[in-house]
Amino acid sequence: MNRFGLSRRASLKLAGTTLGALLVEAKLGKLAYAKSADTLVIGMDISDTNSFDPGHQFVYSAPITMHATYETLVTMAPGQYTTLLPLLAESWELADDGGALVFHLRKDVKFTSGNEMTATDVQFSFDRLRNLKDNPAELASNIASVAVIDPHTVKIVMVDKSQPLLNLLVGPTFVISDSKVVQAHGGTSAADADKTDTANKWLDHQSAGTGPYILSQWEPNAQIVLDRNEGYWREKAPFKRIVIQHIPESATQLLTLERGDIEAAMNLTSAQLDGLKDNKDVNLIEGTSLDFVYMTLTSGKELIPELSIKEARQAIAYAIDYDGMIQGLEGGYATRPPSFIPNGLGGATAELTKEIGYRHDPDKAKSLLAKAGLEKGFSFDLYYGDASVAGTTYQLVAQKLQSDLAAVNITANLHPLDQSAARSKFRAAELPSFITFWNPDGPEAWTWASATVQRVAKRVRWTGAPLPEVTELVNKAGAAHSPEEQDRYYRQYMEALIDQANYIVLFQPIYRVATRTSIKGWKLTAAGWQVDLYDVKPA
Amino acid sequence: MLPYIAKRSVAAFFMAVAATLAVFLIAHMVPTDPILAMLGDLAAANPDTVARFRAQWGLDQSLLAQYWIFLDGLFHGDLGVSIVTRRGVLEDILQYAPATFELATAAALLVVLVGLPLGILASIYRDRWVDHLARVVSLIGVAAPTFWLAFLALALFYGGLQIAPSPGRLGIGDIAPPHVTGFYTIDALLAGDYDTFYSALAHLVMPAAVLAASTLGLITRTTRSSMLEALGQDYVRVARAKGLFEAQVVAGHALPNALIPVVTLGGLAYAELMAGAVMTESIFAWPGLGRYTYQSAVALDFPAILGVTLVVAIIYLLMNLAVDVSYALLDPRVVRR
Amino acid sequence: MSVASESFDLAALKLRSRRRRWLGRYALAAIGLGVVVFWLAVMALAPLIAPYSYRAVDLANHLLPPSWSHPLGTDELGRDVLSRVIWGARISLPTGFVVVAIGSVIGVLYGAVAAFVGGKIEEAMMRVTDLFLCFPPLILAMAIAAALGVGWTNTIIAMVVVWWPKYARVSRSLVLVQRSLEYVEAARVMGFGPSRIVLRHIMPNTLGPLTTLVTLDVGNALITFAGLGFLGLGVVPPAPEWGAMVSEGRSLILQWWVSVFPGLAIFSVVMGFNFLGDGIRDWLDPRAKRR
Repeated sequence: MNRFGLSRRASLKLAGTTLGALLVEAKLGKLAYAKSADTLVIGMDISDTNSFDPGHQFVYSAPITMHATYETLVTMAPGQYTTLLPLLAESWELADDGGALVFHLRKDVKFTSGNEMTATDVQFSFDRLRNLKDNPAELASNIASVAVIDPHTVKIVMVDKSQPLLNLLVGPTFVISDSKVVQAHGGTSAADADKTDTANKWLDHQSAGTGPYILSQWEPNAQIVLDRNEGYWREKAPFKRIVIQHIPESATQLLTLERGDIEAAMNLTSAQLDGLKDNKDVNLIEGTSLDFVYMTLTSGKELIPELSIKEARQAIAYAIDYDGMIQGLEGGYATRPPSFIPNGLGGATAELTKEIGYRHDPDKAKSLLAKAGLEKGFSFDLYYGDASVAGTTYQLVAQKLQSDLAAVNITANLHPLDQSAARSKFRAAELPSFITFWNPDGPEAWTWASATVQRVAKRVRWTGAPLPEVTELVNKAGAAHSPEEQDRYYRQYMEALIDQANYIVLFQPIYRVATRTSIKGWKLTAAGWQVDLYDVKPA
Repeated sequence: MLPYIAKRSVAAFFMAVAATLAVFLIAHMVPTDPILAMLGDLAAANPDTVARFRAQWGLDQSLLAQYWIFLDGLFHGDLGVSIVTRRGVLEDILQYAPATFELATAAALLVVLVGLPLGILASIYRDRWVDHLARVVSLIGVAAPTFWLAFLALALFYGGLQIAPSPGRLGIGDIAPPHVTGFYTIDALLAGDYDTFYSALAHLVMPAAVLAASTLGLITRTTRSSMLEALGQDYVRVARAKGLFEAQVVAGHALPNALIPVVTLGGLAYAELMAGAVMTESIFAWPGLGRYTYQSAVALDFPAILGVTLVVAIIYLLMNLAVDVSYALLDPRVVRR
Repeated sequence: MSVASESFDLAALKLRSRRRRWLGRYALAAIGLGVVVFWLAVMALAPLIAPYSYRAVDLANHLLPPSWSHPLGTDELGRDVLSRVIWGARISLPTGFVVVAIGSVIGVLYGAVAAFVGGKIEEAMMRVTDLFLCFPPLILAMAIAAALGVGWTNTIIAMVVVWWPKYARVSRSLVLVQRSLEYVEAARVMGFGPSRIVLRHIMPNTLGPLTTLVTLDVGNALITFAGLGFLGLGVVPPAPEWGAMVSEGRSLILQWWVSVFPGLAIFSVVMGFNFLGDGIRDWLDPRAKRR
């Protein structure tokens, strides 16, 4: 053994190095960890964030920051989607026989630069938004013009007064930015802004808003750092600094939350959240979203002839075990709207679903198939992308659907696609059936309803009757004068869609965020920014 | 030797460009429309907006014209704008590549420091318990799925024992050192910021160890088996007969000859690591090239795909060149005809 | 003691120690063989030994921990993990094996020829290999899916195209070392044709590192195959492919059994193939020295 005097030395060296490495690691582990009590750390997947420029930003993870650094004219309380609260505007009224909105702005608001917030900034922000002609500009399609009446009064003229606008103004797209600062960095609101504006490079890394926090740093796929706005017009924000740490794996978010390195974990799965129920240091905050997962069925004979028969589509709708899916896959943390308007808007509620919506009724499904002349059943292709909602992947949903449909002799052939291929094929109306997600344009029922008779109708190749009648219902709802009248029209609209069976809404998630007991005030909202970070305080 | 290296280096660049052409053509066979996939729902339904965005990325032009735009940009140092991130591709790559580079290099160092000696020991003590132990231990890293290992390491050392720092390149809320190379360790040293250096180093250990574990088995076992080949050769018997110390025989005679396949595999593994270890980067929240490469591929983000292909190709080709050159240094009998 | 009995004892001693050494050498190989045979048996007998269907969705019983009725627990859809692992052997094992087998044969021959021929042809052949190596595999897989359509065979094709260059490079490096040795020169002088020299003389000496690479690669191939599922390649759910089961269960920490057991299956296959490969190589090695 000792012809190799080397070996003993070598093995001792190896042991020594390993031990040394572990010790160094231990020491370094403690050195590297230094957080202060007035910093809030949030763990979140921010990989889709690509901009903080209000004229360009249109992803899922950026609004939470936008809402903390900028402000809108009006806002909504968490969980409330009908009552508007004043924010930068003290009051507002309709003008021009309902064709315009006039806002009276607060007089004591300053931007982080020290510039006073005036009507010129509102005009600049909205004009720049529209003229950049990027994704968010579509939400402003009903704005015809923005006029400055006086430094604290602004008038927004609508294109079509029967289409809603007011509720949309709470969203992160309609924030008011500092026109002088943005222009100083190359911004413009002129009609050719899409070609001449260069402010987005600067705006991606600095905020020019009035909000309680200031954007200090954005390192893509790494972190977002927000610092307290010391000159905020309301009471100063409770935290000196907020760090949104990019943690793409939910398992890693769980570990860091349990260890206390983050105070809130945004993307945990249902199973992980359930596992935290008994943890004394963790609170689970719930909020019903306005998102839902739905399945489309094409009317296009060219794609799947059987699906062009209405009763065949209805049969699919009645074959699905909705409650099983919600209990089993979502752990009970979901509700289900009757049709394509989420519960909480337009009169849609879980009770209405029980009344007029689909339910799990395999016998009815079979009789519908018989009515369609398809007693032996049929098969079709079900597509879905590589994504998940509230921790449940579409793949799981698809397999559950496949199993439910098999019980009534309908064979669903599963076709997983990567998310981009899926989206591009779906939008090109190439998919016979697709499981996907609807994310609000804003807390306004009309945006869902109009989509179903316009762009989504194209995607499912729904062209003939009763499309014109349903479109008429949607228009009437948009122009309605009272919430009761609106809800009445929406109910008829929902009944028509349920009969048409091109869209089957599977579930509307109730999101849960896990927070440590060291913070409080976290309230979830579905109005577009997930949580108002201004409300979050140390416990 | 030097003219050979120079020739190969220049050839590497042109080959990388050729690779981008191949990728460009093949990527166009995929029927995804990156613009339709990228736009928001409302915008995607507006044909004018779609047309405008397609024109912005030149997707309305012929394939030849599009590739020419890329080449033209390339020779001006501009790799175009990513469809997904809306930033310059060069900017994106310069942002993410150093993180992956740092991780890959650290992992490679670990593999060499642990794997080589282990493989040598295993070959010397063939069939004894040392050999068995080395073979089994080195296999664990390779046979187990990487993100398993990653998650187990994180749960054990960070969650359970609490001796490892939180996932990420630095501590939460820490500011990166002034950018020189993009390697946080080196940049921190250059700036004289020892706290950040220790932090960066501490954060590097676990992900590098996990990545190293996944390659360790290959290097250890290849070292072992090719050492066994070398040790069985006649010249080794001669060296022993001459009375040389065993260490000299092993290290001076057998090892250099045994290293050739090891170096080949090592080069391949390193280049593979450079292309980005998606799962490890994801679990350790490491903002590297892995996710960027994957994302641009599935989103069919042409500029990003071409940019990443170019960079990764150059790295591969230079790595292969280094490996080929090392053959001549390790074993002079390998003479080119 | 007489000389005769001394030498008798010595012979017996030698025999025993040889057996011990034989045991030491082939112990791991025997384990490997056992594992491989076990999985082959599972593959063959799957319909008979799987207690449940691998696709029966039963949400009411989802995420149950291992118990007598479900020895490996149930997954998110309530399907029995043991049954899925058993049936999964039929997909995963052949996949890993076929990709690596075809890729390695093509690559090794290509590299050996290149190294033996040498000169400009070798350079050109290796540059072609380099081109393949620096090609992003994901794009290639997506393009093949688009061009050839989905399915197991097409996925194998896509993977083989990406897999062979590695073997080419390693095999070339190994043959490079060998070709300059005396026995090759001797063989050439004796008039053996190049193909004979490469196949019968050089290749056996390169088997060592190659076997290592091949056997270790099987697990790699499996996991890569799983990742291709979302490009429309690989197998479609509810097919119980091990790699897919592992990656789907990765967010389930408390319900560890969903991804751990398929992971262990992959692990055991890789280990088994590896040990077996070592054993076969040792057994075939004409110059295995006994010390």
